[in-house]
Parts: sequence; C-alpha cells; structure tokens
Amino acid sequence: MDIKKRKRELVEEFSPMLEKTSLLSKLWIGALLIIISIGLYAFILQLINGHEITGMRDNVVWGIYIINFIFFVGISYSGAFIAGILHFFKGFWKNSISRIIEIITVLSLIVGPIFILLCIGRLDRLHYLFIYPRIQSPITWDIIAIMTDLIGCFIYLYLTFIPDFAILRDSDKLKVPNWQKKLYKVLAIGYQDTKSQRERLDKLIRIMSTMIIAMAIVAYTVLAWIFSLTLQPGWNSTIFAPYFIIAGLYSGVGFIIISMYFIRKVYKLEKYIRKIHFIGAGIVLLIISLLFGYFTFSEYFSKWFSHKTQDEELLNTLFSRYFWEFIFANYIGVIIPIVILFFEKLRSIKSITFSAIIAVLGLWLNRYLIVIPTLETPYIPIQDTRAEFIFYTVTWIELALSFAGIAAFLLFFTLIMKFVPIIPMSGIISYERCKKKSHKIKTEQ
Amino acid sequence: MKRNLLYYTFINLFVITILFSTNILAQENDAANYRMLFNFNTFKQHDNSRLLEVSFIARNKKNRKDKIPVYNAEINYFNVLNEEEILLGSSKTSNEGIAQFTLPKNYNYLTDDDGNINLIARFEGTDALAKKTAEISIKNLHLNLNLIEIDSVKTVSVVAFTINKLGDKIPINDANINFYIQGMLSKMKIAEGSINNGTYQFKFPTDIPGDVNGNLIVYSMIQDHDEYWNVAQKKNINWGVFQQQNIKEKNTLWSAVAPLWMYTLLTIMLVGVWANYLYTIIHLFKIKKEKVNLD
Repeated sequence: MDIKKRKRELVEEFSPMLEKTSLLSKLWIGALLIIISIGLYAFILQLINGHEITGMRDNVVWGIYIINFIFFVGISYSGAFIAGILHFFKGFWKNSISRIIEIITVLSLIVGPIFILLCIGRLDRLHYLFIYPRIQSPITWDIIAIMTDLIGCFIYLYLTFIPDFAILRDSDKLKVPNWQKKLYKVLAIGYQDTKSQRERLDKLIRIMSTMIIAMAIVAYTVLAWIFSLTLQPGWNSTIFAPYFIIAGLYSGVGFIIISMYFIRKVYKLEKYIRKIHFIGAGIVLLIISLLFGYFTFSEYFSKWFSHKTQDEELLNTLFSRYFWEFIFANYIGVIIPIVILFFEKLRSIKSITFSAIIAVLGLWLNRYLIVIPTLETPYIPIQDTRAEFIFYTVTWIELALSFAGIAAFLLFFTLIMKFVPIIPMSGIISYERCKKKSHKIKTEQ
Repeated sequence: MKRNLLYYTFINLFVITILFSTNILAQENDAANYRMLFNFNTFKQHDNSRLLEVSFIARNKKNRKDKIPVYNAEINYFNVLNEEEILLGSSKTSNEGIAQFTLPKNYNYLTDDDGNINLIARFEGTDALAKKTAEISIKNLHLNLNLIEIDSVKTVSVVAFTINKLGDKIPINDANINFYIQGMLSKMKIAEGSINNGTYQFKFPTDIPGDVNGNLIVYSMIQDHDEYWNVAQKKNINWGVFQQQNIKEKNTLWSAVAPLWMYTLLTIMLVGVWANYLYTIIHLFKIKKEKVNLD
C-alpha cells in the first residue's frame, strides 16, 4: 500500500469540508452568533441587575444553570468514558465516531462549567475559590476535578489530532488560508509518521485513554457528591454517584447518536457513519436505559418506602406540581427508548435517533427534578415569605443564556469541523495498515 | 309539575339547611359565648419610666382553651384621685390583644393621703363589645441596685423605699425580690430573698462567665407585689469569669484544616494525574526532536 498516495486520496475526499463554506453553513453560523449575542446581552443584564432578574431566590438558589452544568458535564464525562474505551477497539467502525465523541467531550467540558459561573452571585469573588480553598468541600474537589479533567481531555484530543495535522500539513493540494497551514505545521510538531513516532504516540494515547476513563468516573462522582453529601431530601443518597454516572452515560450516548445523525446528514458521510453504528450505539443506549430505569426506581422507591416526612413531602411535590415532568423524565424518557431499541424490527436510523432525543430530553428533565423540587421543599422553610421566593420559575434571561450555551457548543463544533476532518484520516490509514499486515502474516503462514 | 315541586323542595331544603347551619356557626362565634378578660398591669422599668399594660382576651365560656385576642381596641389610661380623672394617654391592642403605654420617669402622679397612685384602664366599648374597666392602686417604689466589692467580695445590694408626702424615705419590709443575669435568650435567676428594713444583699456568685469580655447585666426585680406591683432595676458590671477555651483543634471535616488522609489522597491522585500529563508532554517533545534528527 502506498501510504502517501492513500493520504492524498483521503485529503482530497475530506478537503471540501475544510475548504468550502456553503451558504447554508454561513446562515447556520450567523444564526448561532445571533443566539450567542442575545445570551451575552442577557448576561450583561444579569451582571448589572444581579440574580434578581433570574428565577433564583432564597429557597431555590440553583436554577437551570446548574442543571445545564450537570447535563453538559455529564455528556463530557460519558464522552471521555466512551472515547477511552473505543481506543482499545481495533475495528474500522470506531474511526467513524471516535472524533465526534472526542470533540463532544472537550466542548461540553468547556461550555458546562460556564453555567456554574452564571450561578455565582458575586463573580468578582470568584478568585476566592482558589485563594481560600477548603479541602473538605466537595465544591473544591469539583473545581480541581473539572480543571484536571479538562486539561486531560484537551491533551487526549490533541494527541489524536496530531497524525491528521501532519497529513494536512503535508498536503499541497489543500486550499486553505496560509495561517491555517501554518497552524497545522505548528500543531503537527514535526510528526512524520515514522515507526518510532507512531509507537510513541500510540503509547501516549493508550495511557491517556485509561487516564480519562478513570478521571471521568472520579470527576462525575465528585459532582454527584456535591448533592449527595448534603442532608437535603432527595439528594442524600448513597447510590447518587453511580446513578449520576449511569445518567451521564445515558445522556452522553443519546447525544452522540443525535450528533452522528446530523453530521452524517449534513456532511453526507453515509459511507463512514453507517446503520451498524446506530444499531451498536442503540444497543448501548438500551442497556444504559435499563440501568438508568433501575437506578431511578431504586432511588425513588427507597424514598417512598422509608416514609420520612421530608422525603414524603418531596414525592408529593413530584407527583403533584411536577407530575407531567416526572412522568416524562422517569417513565416516557426511559420506556420509549427501551421499547424502540428492544425490538430489532423497530431499529432504524431515524427511530434510534428519535429514542436518543427522547432520552436526552428526559434526562435533562430528570436533572431538573433532582435540583428544583428539593430546593423548594427545604427542611426549615422560610417563614412569612412570598410564594415567588419559595417556588422557582425560569426567566427569559436564564433561557437566553441556556440557549446561548447550546449555540456556543454547536458553533465550536462547526468551527472544529472546518479545521480538521470529522473522520480521522490517520485512523483509516492505521486500520488499512493493520489489515495489510495481518493479511501478509496469513499469506506467509 | 310534580317532579318540579320535588326538585324545588330539595333546593329549598338545601337552602334552609345552609342558612340554619350558618346560623349555628354564627351563634358559636357570638361574643355572648365569650367571657372578656380585661387585665391591667404596671411595670416600673429600670429607667424609672412606668409601663402600663392591658391584656384584652375573649375566652370561650364552654371551652376555656378557645381564646381570641381582642385587637385594635382603644384603651384609655387615667390617673384617678377621688372624683378627678386625668387622662394619661391611650393605646390600641395589638394582634395578641396587648395594649401598652409608657409614662416618663418624672411624671407627676396624683396620689391619695396614703401615697397610693390610682390608675384606671378603660375600654369604652363598641356595638359588639361591652365597656370594660380595670383599676389598680400602687405605691411608687424606689429601687436602687448597687454592685460593689466589699472587702474584695463582689456584693449585690438593693435599697428599696417609698417617699411620703413630706419627702421622707420610708424603707419597705417583707417584699420578695429576685435577681437575674441576662442570658442570650432569657434571664437566669441567680438569687432570691426578702427585703427587710429597706435593704437586701448577697454575695455575687463567682462562676458566672458573662460575655467574652466578662461583662454581664444584673437585674433586680420585685414581681407581682400587692402594693408595688412590678419594679425592676438593672446594671452592667464586669464581674464575669469568662475564659477563652483553649482546646487544641484537630484536623476534622469541620475544622480549619482538613483531615490528613484527605490531603494525602488528594495529593497522590493529583500528582499521579499531573505526572502523567508531564510524561505525555515530555514525549511530545521527543517526537518533535525526532523530526529534527530526521532532517
């Protein structure tokens, strides 16, 4: 196999994604920028007026910002987990989705923590967290975990990008701006795809894969502990950490399926992202949905059975004021994906994507029901206060900032896909090289 | 037609039942079923001002636990001598049925030949509630609280007397007095005794901490006396024996410094992870160096 020729072919195949920006892409980027601008305006308003213009009050001190934070960080950790595991597989199929997962992992870990900054009433005191850290506090653990994990994910993502940067650097026919070529050159750090370089890089990626799997578990456990180490009704649970990890995987796999669907559709990657990918991801989603359903049932059943006054009050709230949200999050959001994914006949690309959308929406609502109703039913209610100070109602400021976060995620994703091919070229070459090698061994035998 | 009649009969019966039951409820809440408790009390406060207080409560005649405060009722206060009534002032009852009015310390009361001040509290009545009056007679007691050290012994002493028409001080006898220390939420009794020949004294306890600076507030109180009613005095003094507790703080979850195992675990984890990052970066430099060698 002529490696150089094959590299040229692959660059030619993927170059339209990097070179051209269609009108639709421009409109898409413009729309995302408008949403982000509205979010920035909302942020300025919040900065000037304080949290008074959000729905957060004395009782409900965490609103949808924290829910978005948990949601995005959950996606990131599950992405890191899956990306790490995928690296240990040798199959061709993993190439098609590995980069999507890696990008999701890093981007959601950048966007997620921004939401927690929005929760902070006094941003001017943010540096106190670093100047006066309290080692006993799960918040401190979480800050350390997120920062460490973010850097780890960045390194991992970069390591997987290096061979592709080198291919793009060496391609003469690629028509991209000079700055982009220079950047490829810098980022490729002189990678020439020699045997020793390849082995060294493979070793680093292998170690980092193991590392990010472990870090994802630790970091998401710490995030769960922020809730479960308090004595609040609904949060103080021993299974919260594994429950969070399963929930994170549930939303993460769902999110990956949705991303696969749209990337396949927009960039016409039917050749690479095939039905088998959706079926494989769908089966993983099925297993996780069963686990998620089991954990959810265990969590609420033990609360109902214990008949503790506060837990009972919380369950009454969930089954009255939040009835439909509860039904959607914990029944529809679990049962529909299970039904669709369980029967082989129902497994089509569209139906699997639909079940993933239901799962992701249900999971977001599940996070909402973990945070808000608990804060609305505290142990010691504030006396003689107004109803709007007890109950939470989301404001347009919070919605604008939430959508801005999603838009920022999508914008970064789009821009990264303009910079490197979404299907790793080096992965394809590596697979073909391995295939040839094994074929040669067989022939010799 | 028959059906209509039946139908209307039902409606009429229902309306009558409702009216009847409402009537029953109305009767139950009628003022006639309640006994009006109109209590008048007075407190001579530590700054020698006099607080007049009326408690106006309606209590169910059948169910004594059923008490309803009479709120927003205007109470007039009078100083009476023979037929002469001088209006001292007025105040309205609160949501708890309490009305209060304070007279300044130098108020010149009308007193009878025995030196008694006769006070009346009066509610003039409304269409629903009858007029109510309560009268008390008090002697203006002067209570002096002294906190002094006698031969290095911390001593609390009180001098209690009345003043007659000629301006002579008349020491009082057989009056019970209580002494308290102000706590965070309420007063703590430290001594009780009886005033004889106008005085009473006792040794102040030596084990009361006070605040962080050793300051405390001492109260002397004559309470519910037949002649003097309620009289109080208070003084601040630095007699507390507060000692800063010097307990060596351990590394706990709630102390300033975390448990040692927490530092150890966190350090091992972070060093492990960051060492790996460093290892990766070093190897990336090696990859770069290899390129230079190839060139």
